[in-house]
Amino acid sequence: MNNILECRNLTKIFGTKKTLDNVTLSIPRGRIVGLLGPNGSGKTTFIKLCNQLLTPTSGEILIEGKRPGIETKKIVSYLPEKNYLSDWMKVSDIIGLFKDFYDDFNAEKAYDMLKSLGIKPNDRLKSMSKGTKEKVQLILVMSREAKLYLLDEPIGGVDPAARDYILDTILRNYNENATIILSTHLISDIEKILDEVIFIKEGRIVLTKTVDEIREETGKSVDSLFREVFKC
Amino acid sequence: MLKKLLKYEIKATARFFLPLYAALLVFSLINRFLNPFGLIASSSNLNLQVIISMLSIAAYFTLMIGTLAMTIIIMIQRFYKNLLGDEGYLMFTLPVKTWQHIISKLLVAMMWTILSFLVVIGSILITASIEGLMDKLSELVKIFKNYFGTAGFFVISVYAILAVAFYIVMVYAAITLGHLFEKHKLAASFGMFCVLYFFYQIVSALFILLFSRTIFSFLIAARVPTPQEINMFLLTFALLSAVLTTVNFTLTNTILQKRLNLE
Repeated sequence: MNNILECRNLTKIFGTKKTLDNVTLSIPRGRIVGLLGPNGSGKTTFIKLCNQLLTPTSGEILIEGKRPGIETKKIVSYLPEKNYLSDWMKVSDIIGLFKDFYDDFNAEKAYDMLKSLGIKPNDRLKSMSKGTKEKVQLILVMSREAKLYLLDEPIGGVDPAARDYILDTILRNYNENATIILSTHLISDIEKILDEVIFIKEGRIVLTKTVDEIREETGKSVDSLFREVFKC
Repeated sequence: MLKKLLKYEIKATARFFLPLYAALLVFSLINRFLNPFGLIASSSNLNLQVIISMLSIAAYFTLMIGTLAMTIIIMIQRFYKNLLGDEGYLMFTLPVKTWQHIISKLLVAMMWTILSFLVVIGSILITASIEGLMDKLSELVKIFKNYFGTAGFFVISVYAILAVAFYIVMVYAAITLGHLFEKHKLAASFGMFCVLYFFYQIVSALFILLFSRTIFSFLIAARVPTPQEINMFLLTFALLSAVLTTVNFTLTNTILQKRLNLE
């Protein structure tokens, strides 16, 4: 079984709106995959379904052959687009929490990254800006030695200088057998790190290709192909 | 994992309760030594001392009611915010079973409820400064024994603890049911609480009817029950509470596990 993630006929309906419509996907190990689509196309819904934060209306998801549950949570490192940290905690408290609950968490790595971004372990999250909190969250998530990283808009809220550091961090901190799926609409910034892309539009997958295939077949960059496919 | 969850739940809640308990006990001591009740009773005009006394009494009662209110607010807030709010994104992606989340919240909420109750009682005893407190207490114990028998102490404690658990889990169930609604989740949660409350009142009433000739016959005959009767009555209700708490717990657990939809 070479795929870390598979989903079959995955559908999620909110009220009367089909946010995901019959999505079937296989994502192999050891790839960096961009989940690309405009706002409201179903990227976040897909990632939340993989984390069991949402329940599918129909269809199924398998991560390493298992449905989302305790066993998949042990191997999936998830960065939500929201701030999920409790304000009253210090950075060191939250690192302790990750260490307590995730066997694959490397606290040393986390402290190193905090240092290079100039965030003090004794700072309270309450006193931090939105962007700094996002950095802390990303550090926590990337300090796990997980098999699958699900990063929802990892660079959405930070300045361009920090973006480079974050992309660098992502590249440096994942091993070859792990897969990263990251959702974004800031394509030009991340294009250079992607192996594969998935285009998603109104809950449907419209394209899955490797970046090399795109370049060979169309002679275009991912960014310009995106602009073409999603032309308003 | 449950141990770790308990540790973080206590850490997250102690920062509210411990300062509150300390403040309440400090004000009880102040009130004991200032004796504001006596001062107000003995002075005929409104002087500075009387005003300070009044303020001190007001602060004391505010703290006392605040402690009890806080216990309920924190209990609701921890479940709603930590599990179903943004923090739920972290809690539900930890490799922990759903029932462990609920149990850890429940046990810690029960602990603070019982502690708040004891601290308030303690503060009243400190403030009241009853002379010969021990004598009065042993007198109270004697009266209690007449009504409930020696076993009564145990039975009442069990009943009280189960009743606390019952109400807390009912709140959890109501919030979880309310969260199934797509809109107006908070209003729906409140509505669900009323529905559950009404439903369990009916269940209790039916229960009494069912055993009206046996366990609850003293209620129908409107006579003073014997200690055995009253303990039997309490134990039966404790058992009913335990069963209904299990029902609510299972309901909450199943919904959070199978139908979770975090916004």
